[in-house]
Amino acid sequence: MFSLSVVKQFSRLAISSSSTIGINSRNIFTAAALQFRITDQLWAEPLKKKKKMDPAIIKAREDRRRKKLEKQIRRLEKNARQLKPIDEVEAPLHLIDQMGKRKRTPVQLSPEEVEARALLQKDWARYKREEYMANVAQIDRIMAAQRRALDMLYEESEELYDEAIMPDLQLIPYTISGPVATPPIKNYDSPDGEYVDVSKKWDN
Amino acid sequence: MIIKGLLRTELKFCLRYLRRGLSTKSPWDIVTGVCVERLPVVTPPLNDIQKKYKELLWTMEVEKSLKSDHEIRQENDKIQAELLKNESHDVDLDAVSKITAQDFEDAAGEELAQFKFASIETEADKKGDKTTSDRCLQRHLVLVTPVKLGNDIKTILPQGQWKDGETLRQTAERVLKEHCGPNLKVQFLSNAPCGFYKYKYPAELQSDGKVGAKVFFYYANYKSGVVESKDRTKCNWLTRNELTEILPTKYNKSVQEFLIQETF
Repeated sequence: MFSLSVVKQFSRLAISSSSTIGINSRNIFTAAALQFRITDQLWAEPLKKKKKMDPAIIKAREDRRRKKLEKQIRRLEKNARQLKPIDEVEAPLHLIDQMGKRKRTPVQLSPEEVEARALLQKDWARYKREEYMANVAQIDRIMAAQRRALDMLYEESEELYDEAIMPDLQLIPYTISGPVATPPIKNYDSPDGEYVDVSKKWDN
Repeated sequence: MIIKGLLRTELKFCLRYLRRGLSTKSPWDIVTGVCVERLPVVTPPLNDIQKKYKELLWTMEVEKSLKSDHEIRQENDKIQAELLKNESHDVDLDAVSKITAQDFEDAAGEELAQFKFASIETEADKKGDKTTSDRCLQRHLVLVTPVKLGNDIKTILPQGQWKDGETLRQTAERVLKEHCGPNLKVQFLSNAPCGFYKYKYPAELQSDGKVGAKVFFYYANYKSGVVESKDRTKCNWLTRNELTEILPTKYNKSVQEFLIQETF
């Protein structure tokens, strides 16, 4: 029944009346029929005659396409090797030009001075070594103190020990601002200059 | 899911109580001590060899360097001045009348001289006030507070008894709040204790089968705020040497064991 109702709906557009489909119905329409004409369905295209091409031309065309692609690839590779310039690392040209002007007259050190400097360097190396050894010993001492405390805690209560060896996630991220050369001045109003961002944009 | 979770916690509690009931009670009290340290604000003074080496590095740095813009400008000024004196060439007067490099240097020097750096010696240092952390800026300072032990009050690191159900870290935080008020902001550096000290109670105070206390020290860094306490004058920030003077010898040894030693 469904199909019938659909057919009724479109019967106004139909080329032939629905009765020809074989459904027996008696519908009367008062509206004028629309005069649409539809050509016959072919379901296929007439065959075209194949054009014969010169194989030399085809080959030339192929070659041209390949060359074009290769050229593009080469250009891309070349660009890939080109790195972003770092202005701070490259010496400015005007400084390179003034190199002769900016050179200091080389200092002539007396043999005593050279000797004194060498001795001081050696002293410094020894001093740094002692300092390093002292630091390592200090860290060992502090770690041993902690180890002892943890061992004692384990003896006392295993639960507390388990809690104690849990990582402290509050410490991440950790920032610390170290000691400074002169103490900060309280309520100091820093005379900030104007800030102009001159860094270049490198996005593509 | 919820019931399962509840059951599990219930089970855990039961197990914990069972275990505690079975195990013999420890004859030691667990006590948490808190070591709050103010790190140095200013770098320590350089010793002789450091000073000498710094000097050497500086001179070598200058010897190897190229001349700066300022030095070039100074040289140019000198040439211009000479030309002006000789009047042999036609001198570009505009260039000469400008501010010379020397003038600039003098002005900069004057500005520097006018600027007052904060003194390393603070008000508290001058008055000998130990109750504030704003003293001895080059040294590590450790906070000590009066703590009631038995019948007398001793000035040691803040400490307090561990209570059932909290971790030692929580005890440490609670103890610090009880002793120094909520305004003192510190950063604890670990969940683990960093030091240990054990002491026995005097015989007449031993009760409930407790013979003494085991103190577990927690380390924290001072961040901001002030200590609030009934007895503020006894809450002191002490340097290593002052600690040695005021703390009992054995206790001091246990405390200094986990602290960084100062070299000056």
